[in-house]
Amino acid sequence: MLSRIADSMFWLSRYMERSDGLLRTVRTHYILMLDKGVNAHLSWQPVLKIFTQAKDEIISAIKDNSEASLDYLLLDGENINSLKILFAKARENARGVQDHITKEVWEHVNFMYHSINNLAPEHFNHTSVIEAIDTLTNSCILYNGVADTTMPRGLSWNFMSLGRYIERCLLTIELSDKYFSLIDYNIEDEKDILQWRPLLLSLSGYELHLKTYRTTTYNSNTLHQVLFNENFTRSVLYNLIRIERYFSKITKQEPSEKTEALNKMLGRLISKIKYTDFTSLNQKTMPSYLNDTRKELASFSRQLAEQFFSYY
Amino acid sequence: MDCAALLQQYKIPPGIWDEMATASGTRSQYNNIVAALQQYAVSDLQQKDRLAGELFMNQGITFTVYSNNEGIERIFPFDIIPRVITSKEWNHIENGIKQRLKALNLFLKDIYNEQQIIKDKIVPAALIASCPHYTREVFGIKVPYDIYVHISGIDLIRGDDGTFYILEDNLRTPSGVSYMLENREITKRLFPEMLHNNKVKMVSNYPLLLHEILLSLAPQQISNPTAVILTPGIFNSAYYEHTFLARQMGVPLVEGRDLLVDNHKVYMKTTYGLQRVHVIYRRVDDDFLDPLVFKPDSVLGVPGLVGAYRKGNVAIVNAMGNGVADDKAVYNYVPAMIKYYLNEEPILPNVPTYELSDVEQKNYVFENIHKMVVKRTNQSGGYGMLMGNKAEEKEIDDFKKAIEADPRSFIAQPIIKLSTVPCFINGKFEARHVDLRPYALCGPNGIDIVPGGLTRVALKEGSLVVNSSQGGGSKDTWVIDVE
Repeated sequence: MLSRIADSMFWLSRYMERSDGLLRTVRTHYILMLDKGVNAHLSWQPVLKIFTQAKDEIISAIKDNSEASLDYLLLDGENINSLKILFAKARENARGVQDHITKEVWEHVNFMYHSINNLAPEHFNHTSVIEAIDTLTNSCILYNGVADTTMPRGLSWNFMSLGRYIERCLLTIELSDKYFSLIDYNIEDEKDILQWRPLLLSLSGYELHLKTYRTTTYNSNTLHQVLFNENFTRSVLYNLIRIERYFSKITKQEPSEKTEALNKMLGRLISKIKYTDFTSLNQKTMPSYLNDTRKELASFSRQLAEQFFSYY
Repeated sequence: MDCAALLQQYKIPPGIWDEMATASGTRSQYNNIVAALQQYAVSDLQQKDRLAGELFMNQGITFTVYSNNEGIERIFPFDIIPRVITSKEWNHIENGIKQRLKALNLFLKDIYNEQQIIKDKIVPAALIASCPHYTREVFGIKVPYDIYVHISGIDLIRGDDGTFYILEDNLRTPSGVSYMLENREITKRLFPEMLHNNKVKMVSNYPLLLHEILLSLAPQQISNPTAVILTPGIFNSAYYEHTFLARQMGVPLVEGRDLLVDNHKVYMKTTYGLQRVHVIYRRVDDDFLDPLVFKPDSVLGVPGLVGAYRKGNVAIVNAMGNGVADDKAVYNYVPAMIKYYLNEEPILPNVPTYELSDVEQKNYVFENIHKMVVKRTNQSGGYGMLMGNKAEEKEIDDFKKAIEADPRSFIAQPIIKLSTVPCFINGKFEARHVDLRPYALCGPNGIDIVPGGLTRVALKEGSLVVNSSQGGGSKDTWVIDVE
């Protein structure tokens, strides 16, 4: 497969996964803001911080205005991470690899692009915003379904999967870091489960949490879920295991010194997460633990690109 | 209202050959279609028209128009009523194109090698020397099977007596074949019963024929040669077609930056290292193919490609330098080439063409400029053209000045009233002018032309310019047997 094609497949997947994450977070946030309660001071600031590169003055100008924030996050043409731009980038990548994805996948990505371009800001006012977000979210879910049922399990699929799981893993780390920083990484405290609803709902893990964790040590339970729960599709460990699976499929065909080094790097990262002594995580160690994990994964992703995608 | 009443109202402009209607009735090849259309209500056809638009849009068969920094996706207009050609007419066209391509291939071989045709004074040396597309860089390069034109899209038009004329030979990177194929697929959705009842000849094997030809050109006798399509990239207006052909043939679609030349061999950069490439179907123009030989600032090409080509390590389709044979001034000599190389009379005539470098011809053209179309020899796509009957005096004067300054860059032809066909426009059947571009494939085993081609239609009332950049659309083209 051409390096350029592999690169585009990888990024097509990353943009789609990022869109999915953005939509889930935005929806959760919007709905929780309607409740006045423990989240009384909920603003769009954390979401804007995570998903955009907006300057602080822009953020403080719009953080308490849902319509402006939604517009900025979803439709803004200047925000390079807005949903509209993500869809456009995904489509651009898909267009470049049209002969490597199935007709169904292409047509769906193309459809998503056209449908967001047909949305106007009025679709995001209070009466119709949930409906609009749900339609877009369903479209993302459908994309995953269409890709899953039609794409052949070859090299294309492996690179697409790598993109998806790397993006998802980074997003989980990013979101978790943000929400734990709000309580100053104090995981010994118990807090209220309501405090964790924004994070868990954004990661589609709230129900799993209620079913799995029976104690009231909510802070540490949540941390356990987002990092180590192997049954949770957005946990760091779950995603790292997937990354390793698809990476080994790619390297198995033609191993080299470089791919071997990458393999080891990934192995070390997984072992680190897998064999972490949970009790060692506390207010002091948490920030660097999350930060190191993010850095190592980003570094893996960069070296992956050097090895397989360099074509300039 | 139903379509039967609408068809009654169909008016043909006077003095023009209409492909469906005559003064006294309907041509027999359209009988079945007329009968079928009469069964529909107008709303049915409007519904089909909408469906066709949606199908094109959803499949991404679009081009992008940029305005205010925002890209807007447009589809190429498609008219749902098919254009019909009888097998008898088709055989005539097919024989004519085959004959022409044989001569043009021989001409290209000759002009880049011995140049016998110049020595025998059939084609003036000055004409070739002044042709901007004559490519000295490829002089003497041997190409597989002496085939230069593998893929052509020769444009035909039909005059007021129904005669087919050759309007233009497109021998470089003709586009539109994906529209020929997609138009048929869309028609299968719109009028399945009509297709079935008319026993329309198949066009869908085009990609298979093309693939076979590409593989047969591999420079080495190996069991599994690699053929690729070279595209300028996603911003090219024909990008959809490039992906379409890559998908239909199952070959990689590459950009210049995916390829490199090492030791006069071409490779593509894959995730597992370099892989040899044997055949390149390029959709990049000559000038951009190799920055070491042509435009040095081109990023669309591959440095060293011409060297590999000269060594015979890679086959390039179409050959480089073909522009000399489809130059609008050289066009005038194609009938003479047919006589010279094949000792045959041309089956399909040229449109009479005046060379403006000849003083007498130029004076005649200037006197009759209102009956002429003047074209720049180096432009296409409906640009750089003067329609003498419609142009303002100022425009005519500007052209005259430009011609005086550089007569070699212009030709003039009498305005031919292209034939018309019925189109479904705004809920009515209206006559619009069309041309026809059949796609011919030349390989080691001869020339294949899938029966049909792309019918381009000038959707503006009275317009004779069918190019998509000038408000043209397309139609499905049927070749059917008529007893």
